[in-house]
Amino acid sequence: MNEELIQQITKMVVEKLEAASGGQTSQQSSNEQKVQLFSQEPIGHLAAERPQQSPSGAVTFHSTTNEAKPQRNIATIKPKPTTAYGKPKAETTTPTEDQLAEYRKKTPARIAVGRAGSRPKTKTWLQFRLDHAAAVDAVYGEVPDELLDRLGLFQVHSKVADKEEYIRRPDLGRKLSDEGKALIQERCKTSPVVQIVASNGLSAKAIEENLEDVYLSLEQSLNNLNIDMGTTFYVDKGRVAVMDDIGEVLKPDVVVMLIGERPGLVSAESLSAYLCYQPRHGTIEADRMVISNIHKGGIPPVEAGAYLGTVIQKILKYEASGVALVQKEG
Amino acid sequence: MSNFNKHETIISAGIDIGTSTTKLIISRFSLRNVAGATHVPRIEITDKEILYKSPVFRTPLQDAVTINVRGVQEIIRSEYEKAGIQPAQIETGAVIITGETATKRNASEMLHQLSDEAGDFLVATAGPDLEGIIAAKGSGSYEESGKGGRVIANIDIGGGTANIAVFQDKQLLGTCTMHIGGRLIEFEQGKVRTISPPVERLLEEQGYTLQVGDPQDAAAVEFVTTYMAEAMARILKKEVHAQDHVLLLGHEPNWKQPVDTIVFSGGISECMYRHASDEEQVARYDDIGIQLAEALLRNQSLQIFEWQEPIETVRATVLGAGTQTTEISGATIQVAPHELPLKNIPIYQYDFEADLEAGLSNFENAVQQAVALYDSAKEGQNFALYLSNLPYLGFRDVQTLAKAIVQIMNQRPRPEQPVILVIQSDHAKVLGQTLAALKVKQSIICIDQINVETGDYIDIGKALTSGVVPVVVKTLTFHTT
Repeated sequence: MNEELIQQITKMVVEKLEAASGGQTSQQSSNEQKVQLFSQEPIGHLAAERPQQSPSGAVTFHSTTNEAKPQRNIATIKPKPTTAYGKPKAETTTPTEDQLAEYRKKTPARIAVGRAGSRPKTKTWLQFRLDHAAAVDAVYGEVPDELLDRLGLFQVHSKVADKEEYIRRPDLGRKLSDEGKALIQERCKTSPVVQIVASNGLSAKAIEENLEDVYLSLEQSLNNLNIDMGTTFYVDKGRVAVMDDIGEVLKPDVVVMLIGERPGLVSAESLSAYLCYQPRHGTIEADRMVISNIHKGGIPPVEAGAYLGTVIQKILKYEASGVALVQKEG
Repeated sequence: MSNFNKHETIISAGIDIGTSTTKLIISRFSLRNVAGATHVPRIEITDKEILYKSPVFRTPLQDAVTINVRGVQEIIRSEYEKAGIQPAQIETGAVIITGETATKRNASEMLHQLSDEAGDFLVATAGPDLEGIIAAKGSGSYEESGKGGRVIANIDIGGGTANIAVFQDKQLLGTCTMHIGGRLIEFEQGKVRTISPPVERLLEEQGYTLQVGDPQDAAAVEFVTTYMAEAMARILKKEVHAQDHVLLLGHEPNWKQPVDTIVFSGGISECMYRHASDEEQVARYDDIGIQLAEALLRNQSLQIFEWQEPIETVRATVLGAGTQTTEISGATIQVAPHELPLKNIPIYQYDFEADLEAGLSNFENAVQQAVALYDSAKEGQNFALYLSNLPYLGFRDVQTLAKAIVQIMNQRPRPEQPVILVIQSDHAKVLGQTLAALKVKQSIICIDQINVETGDYIDIGKALTSGVVPVVVKTLTFHTT
């Protein structure tokens, strides 16, 4: 065999091994080109992809290693955008970062968050997962006893046994358990003007975050207006129409039900106040009314409580609620 | 009791008493609850309809320094009659005394008389900055600035002054007022009749002579209009020369961004665009107005800007005053009905910087500063406290805040006056109710969702059927000369 060739090959192998063991990137001769089929750099509207100020629970990343960016030898050529007919697309104006920030201010929806290829960015995706998990937690969570004690509320149950049944059987959530009925009969003032009831509904988190502020503010409002209040209590796993059972037992003029709303991805802690004039068995849904979206990012709970007082005043004046109230009001 | 679901209308009047002309406009606003049925109501002005536009009248003057108040009243009375409106029907709007008229001897006195004549809730207001802003709203420049991020300067030139207001994305960037107007030199039978003091000073500085009785086509007249157009271009470019100071009224231009587009409104723009030429009464003013319009159109330096035609020329200011000055408060508020309307309430802003505790620790100074600012003689000029950047408030925080408010409000020179609070965030009702629960002895006016700042004045109208109140925010009062 050609001695010279053997020497040359050995030299190359040794060089490669040395390079590998030294942890260095192999030195390539200058005329050798590294081929990359796909761009490693993001393309598209970079302005849109700047990280935004995130609310609580934001996920941040920082790299743990220092990587040298591979040098690209072939420039990626961005194909001209074309329409289905192959004609170049007309120039569209790209919104500036200021405008995008303005759009983001106007909606809690996830707009102008950028993308990585055809997928959302990792950060956006994790935020989405986090919000989704918060929604699930809100449904399966429990209201802390400490909060109910602080507000002096006692607890009764609907006919639902557990969370699974609560979700599958809305009809059972609309009925008070027999023990519950007996308990409210025993502990509550009968025939009050206003009966306030709290329930976790589909979001325990909503009660945890907002009940105290709404309740105290509503109580103050009713005191100012000299409207008599019954004994407030808490219904575990209730639905809105459980107020009909309560109406039958306690015979109040107005029931205000503060109940956790079905959580969404924007907020998992939104509270609703359902109001009804003399709810009894057979009350139709059109007679119920609601003030929804009570939470930090919606109507402030303290302001909602203050507003509810005047709504109750109106219901009492017209002796009607819901559609009937709108009709009577003219 | 407030009914949020009813469609409601209010009548607004705008009256503009300018250096050379006076005009009036009556419009009707429709108010509606724009929030969904399950939400707390939000009342907004959803439609504005102009019911009556008066002809353009010559402003009645007694002599060079006095307005003929009776003459102005006469115009208003007869125009109301033609429009079929009683003063009592008018629930909001603005009277504006603009340009040189505001410097007349009896301007302030007249405003007070007009307020009685023109309607219970009509605001008396003036001031060059505000004038420019209102004109920009009436001419369409303000609306236009919201499209496409251009920096738009609205230049409202009337008889006595040019009011520049610069906007971008509906944000005010700055203002400037100049002694440029049609009436600064007047003629009579082809001869100069009057020359206003700023023009006299300008001629003197530039070495020209012009005297009463000189022919209308004197070289000095030509010089003045050309110089004014040149000076306008320099001011718009913010290249203020020392010799331009004679034409400045008040501060130098204070916007930072370069101007892209210019819009002319006011009487001079009518000379350029002739929007009203088909109206029967064609104004013959016998002054430099037309020459000034031509000089501006001819000027090369002004051509670097993009020109845009206004939607309203001579009536831009009155349209702005009649239709753009009213805001609607939040729907959940607490007001003592017998105290309204309230007029000319100065604002003192207190910024909590999103920290209640730190904010409250310094809260006491707020009243002292407000009193020092607006009532230094302790004569009992009341003020409105504007609470901005409040953090998220729980019920106990509201209690703490309300107690602090009671305490500091009792330190006013006349503590029995109504407590007037304007809150940036949606907290007016709960704060008002908390104050009521504390059994404060003063009447409480607590409104929210209005943006103001220290130095502004507000007028609060009577509560409407929906429970909201119309609010007019004024940025400045009289200019001092």
